[in-house]
Amino acid sequence: MTVASTQLHEAKGGRSNPYLLMPITLFFALLALAVLRAPSLMTSAGIGSAIIVATPLILATYALMASAISGRGTVDLSVGPLIGFVNVTLIQFSSAGLLESPLAVFLYAIFIGALYQLIFALIVIYVRLQPIIVSLSGYLALTGINLVILPRPGGVAPAFMAEWGYGTSIFSPVLVMLVLASAAWLLFTATAFYTHLRLMGSDERAAYTAGVPITIVRIGAHLISGAFAGLAAIAFTALISSGDPSQGTTYTLIAVTALVLGGASLAGGRGGVFGSALGALNLYLITFVLATFNFGAVQSFVTNLAYGSILVISLLLTLLIPVIQRYIRNFSPFLYFVALAVVVLGVILHGTFDYTAFEAASLPVGPMDLQASLIAPLEIAVSSPETEALRAQAAPLISAALLLVVIAVFLRVAFAQTDRRRIGPAVAVVLAALVLGGAWGMTQSTPDTEVSQ
Amino acid sequence: MTDLAPQISLPSRILGLVIGLILTATGAGFGFASGASVQIVILAAIATLALFVWGWRYVLGQFAGPAVAAADGPSSVWQAWMRFRWPLLGLALILLAFLILSLTVEGFFNIWNVISLLILLAILVLTRTLGRQFQQNRSAFIGIMVLAGLFSVGSMNIEGFASGNNIKSMLLFASFLGLASVGQTLVALLGGLDLSIPFVIGGANVGLLYLISLEVPGWLATIIVLLIGALLGVVNGLLSYKLQAQALIVTLGTGFAISGGVQIITSIGSAYSGNVFGTVPAWLSNLSAMNGTTFGISFPPVIAIWAIIALVLIVGMRVTLYGRFLYALGVNRTSASRVMISELSYWVVMYALSGFFAAMTGCLLLGWSGGGFIGVGDQYLFLTLAAVVVGGTSLLGGAGGYGFTVIGVLVLQVLSSFLVGIGLDFEWQQFIFGLLILPMVALYARSPHIRTQI
Repeated sequence: MTVASTQLHEAKGGRSNPYLLMPITLFFALLALAVLRAPSLMTSAGIGSAIIVATPLILATYALMASAISGRGTVDLSVGPLIGFVNVTLIQFSSAGLLESPLAVFLYAIFIGALYQLIFALIVIYVRLQPIIVSLSGYLALTGINLVILPRPGGVAPAFMAEWGYGTSIFSPVLVMLVLASAAWLLFTATAFYTHLRLMGSDERAAYTAGVPITIVRIGAHLISGAFAGLAAIAFTALISSGDPSQGTTYTLIAVTALVLGGASLAGGRGGVFGSALGALNLYLITFVLATFNFGAVQSFVTNLAYGSILVISLLLTLLIPVIQRYIRNFSPFLYFVALAVVVLGVILHGTFDYTAFEAASLPVGPMDLQASLIAPLEIAVSSPETEALRAQAAPLISAALLLVVIAVFLRVAFAQTDRRRIGPAVAVVLAALVLGGAWGMTQSTPDTEVSQ
Repeated sequence: MTDLAPQISLPSRILGLVIGLILTATGAGFGFASGASVQIVILAAIATLALFVWGWRYVLGQFAGPAVAAADGPSSVWQAWMRFRWPLLGLALILLAFLILSLTVEGFFNIWNVISLLILLAILVLTRTLGRQFQQNRSAFIGIMVLAGLFSVGSMNIEGFASGNNIKSMLLFASFLGLASVGQTLVALLGGLDLSIPFVIGGANVGLLYLISLEVPGWLATIIVLLIGALLGVVNGLLSYKLQAQALIVTLGTGFAISGGVQIITSIGSAYSGNVFGTVPAWLSNLSAMNGTTFGISFPPVIAIWAIIALVLIVGMRVTLYGRFLYALGVNRTSASRVMISELSYWVVMYALSGFFAAMTGCLLLGWSGGGFIGVGDQYLFLTLAAVVVGGTSLLGGAGGYGFTVIGVLVLQVLSSFLVGIGLDFEWQQFIFGLLILPMVALYARSPHIRTQI
């Protein structure tokens, strides 16, 4: 039953992925709860620090996802220690005066990550061990060597990333890194290589019989995973601004959890940056929401309990997906996302809106008069100065709304006209850019609201 | 192995002799350089040469089929190289490692290390040759070889390695790991995984002390904890069965929840979050303390408990119908369910046993340490997996058994105590553990090439 429906789904391509239903719902539920509990999340600093804290986890989840798609039950347990390894070596090199420039640091991190994953892939391919055993071995070896390289937390991150971890504004280099990494994956999904990867992950024998070069595809998947792991290590280094041999190790279990929460399949063949990012953000939001409740000494225990229960419950809910699929044939995660986003936007506005300041300020419109509003359309309009003022105030808002509608229509048309099925990711990127633009606009206008608060 | 003295071609014999001579000369050079006495150097050189040449002939003889006369093929040296390149490369790698260690570590090159190297080589040669005889239990054979080799090397190099006390302590720690790995083995035989074991261990550890501090009698508290462990296992089993192929993540989730839940319960009304204080009953400390006595004999009873459980499990899984059905289910669940084997009941029972034994390990660890600590099981998260894998139980299900895991546990324990003995810290031990798992598993657990699976 499940297998059949999965195959059905695979046949339809990546456009309708019902497995994104859970992460999207959970994300918006948690976001709404978080905003209601702590409206400070929706300030420039709140979002900025959220991005700084969540980015290493998101990138670590990407790293897991890239190799998990390749099938054979590749759950790279060693991703956490690998992040730790890059972190501690980076710190040691930079304190030795090497690796000062950003370019060198990035190249080094990505190179080490990719090198490790290359060895991983070669062992899986040629020695033909189960990937989980290789990753287990890598976990133990790297955890050990991390402690040898840097016995206790310390050291200073390279000078150029000293300010990255403050998280006072939304637009930090870490965000750029995250957006670029996501965009890179989305671009990658437009290639034939990606199709091969998913085919191999879903059914390796079929892929082999069909002539897919499975050796190269597997190596490629691992190289991508390694590059993501390197970026995750940089984000992690930026977050803690120092070296820590054991902190990185904890990312393994959280990232696996995030991967599964994001709707990816550990058996291979299914997964994407959208779901993975949502999964990681969900975990961050769980921690955030629970932190607002102030459980005192048992805080971390409650977090653990919530992690575990939400993970199990969301896994159980995936059992419902075949049932849902029977009724909703063409589920569009994208539309669902937009619909929920609108709802949650309302919640956010409600949560962050300063009603007292609004009432205190002199209103251009008075309380609504029913009779007047019914009669008014019938009368010949005479533009009073008040109406003019209202118009002038509303003009930017209306034009912005029109602009959004136009862009949406344009995208929809472009989407419909093209033969490529995979333009969806590009749409997501453009929309993300728009949302970011909106957020930027918010930050530009925040100073006066902050003053008023 | 029809011919005990197989003939190999002349070029490969010459090649072997040359490599052996180079090896011997290097060894002798180092011997003189480090100022060993002449007799020892000569002895070592002769031993090296003889063993190498014998090993060369014996190993390569296994590969030598009927000589195919290639009239216009590549030269015979090249053919020999192509045929034997992997063993040769491996040999070169080991020798290179030895060379580097001799050059970098002061005083590394002594007679004991040379003999250790020779023992290692002999084990490798034996496993490559004799191991072919064991189609069924190759992993057990290799495990025992490694165990014997490690133990002999350890007792030669380390003062007091083979003493009664050390063996006792090794067995003590092995029995903790062994009991924790029972569940992992049973579950792996079904094709599942149980990552909740460490969390259940930690939970049982803290929970038992909590119950004792509430003045529940010790025996009752232990029974309650064991039952709760089994119950959590049942939950794990049901969930893992419902969510096929997601056992790894399901048990991880329940593990998080268990660990969090137990800590919340135990820290309600307590000022010390997560830390429980109480007195461990004397009988429980006696069960697992180093100086415990079993019916007057001075060794900790936990070793005896482990031995009995291991025996029951090994025999039970071999001879009872219930045990055989477990393998049937692991190999092919479709055909197993066709012969009326209830898949659900097996998943539930195996996970319940896993939870039960994890809780038991937690209780015993409480007796050993005397204080409750939620993180006491953390190292077992990957060690139980490693023990199962090194022992030779397939994580895909259907092959292996608890006997293999016992060997795996012993190998890991002897290895770790050997590494402690030569003065390596915990982090180096872990590093070497990680690096050694791969070749050990690669000796017997390689999956077939994809082209043979179509």
